Amino acid sequence: MKAMDPRILTPAMVRIVEATDMTAHERFFRLRLPRPLRHAPGQFVMASIPGIGEAPISICCGPGDHDRLELLVRSAGSLTMAMQQLGAGDQMGIRGPFGTGFDLAEFEGCDVLIVAGGLGLAPLRSLIEPLLAERHRFGRITIISGCRTPADELFRDEMRAWGRAPGTRVIRLVNDTAHLPWDGEVGLVTAPIAGLDIPPATLAVLCGPPVMYKFVIMELAARGLAHDRIFIDLERRMRCGIGKCGHCQINHLTCCQDGPVFRLSAVEALPEALA
Amino acid sequence: MGAYLVERLVFLEWIRTLAGNEQVYFPQPLAESSFHFARVHSSSLLALEDFDDPHRTTIFRASACVPPPARILAPEGEQLFTFRRDGAGDCTLTPVLDSSRRILAGVRPCDLKAIALMDRFQRATIPDPHYLVRREHTLLIGHDCLYPCDRYCFCDAAGSLAWREGADIFLTPQPGARLLVEALTDQGAVLLAGAGFPACGEVEECRARAEARRPDPFGRRFAASLDDVMAAVAKGWDADVWQEQSMRCFSCGTCNLVCPTCSCFDVRDDFSVEDPDSGRRTRHWDGCMLENFAVVAGGHNFRKSPAARQRHRVMRKFVYQPHRFGGTSFCVGCGRCRRQCTVDIDIFEIASELLTAAAEGA
Repeated sequence: MKAMDPRILTPAMVRIVEATDMTAHERFFRLRLPRPLRHAPGQFVMASIPGIGEAPISICCGPGDHDRLELLVRSAGSLTMAMQQLGAGDQMGIRGPFGTGFDLAEFEGCDVLIVAGGLGLAPLRSLIEPLLAERHRFGRITIISGCRTPADELFRDEMRAWGRAPGTRVIRLVNDTAHLPWDGEVGLVTAPIAGLDIPPATLAVLCGPPVMYKFVIMELAARGLAHDRIFIDLERRMRCGIGKCGHCQINHLTCCQDGPVFRLSAVEALPEALA
Repeated sequence: MGAYLVERLVFLEWIRTLAGNEQVYFPQPLAESSFHFARVHSSSLLALEDFDDPHRTTIFRASACVPPPARILAPEGEQLFTFRRDGAGDCTLTPVLDSSRRILAGVRPCDLKAIALMDRFQRATIPDPHYLVRREHTLLIGHDCLYPCDRYCFCDAAGSLAWREGADIFLTPQPGARLLVEALTDQGAVLLAGAGFPACGEVEECRARAEARRPDPFGRRFAASLDDVMAAVAKGWDADVWQEQSMRCFSCGTCNLVCPTCSCFDVRDDFSVEDPDSGRRTRHWDGCMLENFAVVAGGHNFRKSPAARQRHRVMRKFVYQPHRFGGTSFCVGCGRCRRQCTVDIDIFEIASELLTAAAEGA
């Protein structure tokens, strides 16, 4: 148990230094923190506009002793719609970081397979950045990222740059080109897995919509990857981030405390985890 | 710590005097045979049951107040913080912590247990300051039960009847319209020290007398031990009972609202009507039986059917929360959810059916 923090449910107001539309529905924010967040990749913050509301948002920048906080916000409800209006100089309320993250030490020397569906790329970017920043510490890195159409693709220039790093392969997919120019592949994120070399010491990391997990896990299981080597990053409704509001409960676990990053072997027996 | 033998009316007069100077909450009639915990004053009508009155013909016939006293520690609509926006659009946020002193008097063993479990839950991992500050400044005056509330009570079967933990003062009815008044904590002793009550020299005898007065069985009994019930519910994921017992469920969430160990909430932001540059964030009681409780952005509902939600509610009481917070059943057997349910869905019956199913399967 931690000591009681009287401000744990009261956000700190943090300045936005950069805000850009990444797609028609997603806006990217860079904030300057008063002090480093010291988050782990995969953790999230509760982001808010006082008077409008609060929602869990994945941290999409890598960890470290820096004062940067990057968030990608999809317009989905009244709060996230209002956030699309925020720009540089405005403030955003921030609480956290909350939840479990990835332990980079475990990735040392391992091949890494990252599978992202849609907005799932945002939290995984917080892992991809440190992996590529110290490229020599890790084995081959394969990133599979899928979205609906070319207009929905996130972090396009960065993904192209990631693919130029040594020993790093980036497979970009769309379900449908929607008659737009496209330099990636067409299909579902499950499709390229069959063609990959996946040694048993590989670590796989998945984040995407609920429907994605089942099929990607089936593909990985077919390739013989052990379930304790597969990480899944789950999404649930969250109201507090401190394990109290009850919304994110998955059987006896709470997504905000025990997750959102789970080892598949730890949750596969829980009927509500992937349902 | 101090024990006193006091005439009931004298004790109630003392409570009224306290209520003249402090925030005192006491069961108050709301409608016929319906009670709630409400703030009382020096002229409020107060009553407690009689040692010799198994039919509870006094005004105080129903003990299971709705909502339960645990909810006073996490009130509906409580403020988390206020904010003020300056001319440049920047906000200053001020947390709201309620450290005013409260006394909750007439809290039954099942509710004492529920509050003790909520204390455990709220202190765990990342503590909730808004609950804990209020709790720290709240004194509890417990009251023993000599008779079950009604035919729905199963507090003894749920391991709550003997619960004392958390009470600062504990009352046990005695013959001759008297009460054994015991201080169980230093704070309770301090409060009682100035009351001028006559000391009790035979505390053990008084306790034994009250215990002997209780009927046996006390309320409904499971066909096996509470541990067996909890194990049977844990094994019941695929049981038919969820569907059977949920066909008539309206998903109204009443069972959540009246449960003394339900504490789920939603939050809401509001601007002030008088001053649009200020406002507040408040939290509001929510319940896992409500249809949209587990819906995420994008619309996916992780518990779409009433049966899935019913299963979650019951599992949370007998399996999930006990697993995380000390092994004790979070269903305290107060019977409120059954009593208040429009369509008579009964957690005792669900647990009993799972017990039977487990016995048949074994």
